[in-house]
Amino acid sequence: MVFLRADMCPGLDSDLVRDLRAADVKTVEDLVSSNLEDLAHRCSVSYKALYAIRRVLLAQHSAFPVSGADLYEELLSSTAIISTGNPSLDKLLDSGLYTGEITELSGGPGSGKSQVCFGVAVHVSLQLKQNVIYVDTTGGLSASRLLQMLRAQTCNVEEQMEALQRIRVCRLFDIFALLHCLHTLCSDSSSSSSVEGGAVAAAVAAGGGGVEGVSLQQASVSGGSVKAVIVDSVSAVISPLLGGNHTEAMSLMIQVAGILRTMAKDFNVAVLVTNHVTRNTSSSRSCGTDVQPGLGVSWSHIPRTRVLLERVEEAGTGIQPSVRSATLIKSSRQPCFLREEFDLRFWSQTKTSTSGKRKREESDS
Amino acid sequence: MQRSLLSLPLNFSLRNKLFNAGFRVIADLQRLTDSELIHEAGVSQQDVLELLQAVRGEGGDAWSSSTSLELLQKEGESRSIVSFCSQLDEALSGGVPVGKITEVCGTPGVGKTQLCLQVAVDVQIPPCFGGLGGHVIFVDTEGGFLLQRIEDIAAAVVRHCSLLVEDDEQREGILTFTVETILSNIYVVRCNDYIEVLAQLHLLPDFLLEHPRTCLLVIDSVACPFRHIEVVSQRTQLLQSLGLQLTNLAIRYNLAVLVTNHMTTRLQGSQSQLVPALGELWGHAPTIRLLLQWLNSQRVAIVVKSPDHMEAIVQYQITSDGLRDVDESV
Repeated sequence: MVFLRADMCPGLDSDLVRDLRAADVKTVEDLVSSNLEDLAHRCSVSYKALYAIRRVLLAQHSAFPVSGADLYEELLSSTAIISTGNPSLDKLLDSGLYTGEITELSGGPGSGKSQVCFGVAVHVSLQLKQNVIYVDTTGGLSASRLLQMLRAQTCNVEEQMEALQRIRVCRLFDIFALLHCLHTLCSDSSSSSSVEGGAVAAAVAAGGGGVEGVSLQQASVSGGSVKAVIVDSVSAVISPLLGGNHTEAMSLMIQVAGILRTMAKDFNVAVLVTNHVTRNTSSSRSCGTDVQPGLGVSWSHIPRTRVLLERVEEAGTGIQPSVRSATLIKSSRQPCFLREEFDLRFWSQTKTSTSGKRKREESDS
Repeated sequence: MQRSLLSLPLNFSLRNKLFNAGFRVIADLQRLTDSELIHEAGVSQQDVLELLQAVRGEGGDAWSSSTSLELLQKEGESRSIVSFCSQLDEALSGGVPVGKITEVCGTPGVGKTQLCLQVAVDVQIPPCFGGLGGHVIFVDTEGGFLLQRIEDIAAAVVRHCSLLVEDDEQREGILTFTVETILSNIYVVRCNDYIEVLAQLHLLPDFLLEHPRTCLLVIDSVACPFRHIEVVSQRTQLLQSLGLQLTNLAIRYNLAVLVTNHMTTRLQGSQSQLVPALGELWGHAPTIRLLLQWLNSQRVAIVVKSPDHMEAIVQYQITSDGLRDVDESV
């Protein structure tokens, strides 16, 4: 839906735009869907000219096909697999988070969603030396915990500080703020060159603005590119809407999904979101567990990979406070219901390799 | 991706006007002068102003961004409120943290309210004694705010501090730190139902502007008014927005938020289990969750959920002076 303007394509001059407007044809959509013969007659322009304009406009506004071979080339050159830093999770996710995709972690309170997010953020910023954007909607991000995890991996204070600087935290508690934030991240800061029109137009061109230094492109200029965007949690801002005006809530949810998807694809970042779980009250135990990710069916199509996190309770030893199980419940690469266990205390190691580092980490905490 | 107009916090009529005029995405607004916009969409100047605010992202709750290093510095500056139970403080690395939501769950009589009262007094310990010297807003929904108890606890804390006096600053500080000042710095709000609680929270920013030294918000309990809302979807929605609102308050005004919650029984097959009330979804709202319970005729507190603490189980007792460590020798 774009308004017809004089400089959009050759042949469309301001006189013609005025004439078209008089004939109640304001937008590209109107022009494309109108009867051209009739329109040519009413505006007294040649049918040929209108037909040419329509062709150009259609070409401008359509997507064009790409061959599978080209796509594959592009895939090989642009897709990266970002290790989470945790061997068990990497195994579950087929060696890590894929850029261009949305991965979802779901689980109940205290199931370790935020801890996994912290772990990924720390690993990407410290080991891979890439920038991370962490959108915190629950106030649960604890920088001291990040530091604690960094300390377990390196003793070099300078490296720790650099890693912390590469993690940019956006705090917001509102769906509109989330949308604004995500759109600002995606906005192309260089495009605001020529601004005609009023104050609103200027604000649009400036991409919302207001908060400096948080564009995916800007971040990539200042050393290292953004490789991971983490939204913890996406359900905290969406779930208050559900239950009220349903259509509006759905529309907002799909918009969040859309922008996350675009972000993942266009900027080649791995997107990691967290979600709550709902408990099945009915006795249908079809999916193996009695909990399932929240936000309903429409959201379930959005993430490419979904992982369910749970506490591990063993009959013999009782509750092991820091052991969590991760179950794959949706994936396009691995068989579903793969299950791995990992210990939140030792993020970057398998459970079997122990001793030295464990002691250090415990003495830090 | 084109940003849809639906993603802006606009009022209903303005959005409809823009839609009917053919605007769908924000880019449609580009290159239009303001007067053209008014003409085109048939909106008023007031509407344009609102639109402008929305596009700039100023309306409603704005968002902030910082690197985690800056956040770490900020965390280093913020303080925690001691609970006078050193084991509990240790498990929470310093006590009830400022800027976060802490939830205390437990069965009746296990000491949820006592913990709240204790923290409400402790937050007022003057800075010269290592405290925060802050004021308290206490939202009481159960009528559990007992003046007699708070007087006992306050007297004990004052006594404790007066024993610590060493230098002149502290000598001066103790003169103004009395039971009367402690009581006068606690603002009690008695709420009977959830509407009053929500209304109070909406008005809280104004209150906080008038009383800038407030650094603790207690809601005792959040379960009581919300538990018996009949329509479950409405309850969930209200609780979710309450959670967001509390997080927002905690971070924006640098408040420690302490809420209490009841326990309920969940049936799993033939087994039953005691779990915190208000549903699983609410469990995501508090940053830290403490579970108080009886274990072999001993009161224990369990850190169930916390982003930066290990799960821990500590013993405590409630004496006439308030919450204290368990004395091993007795």
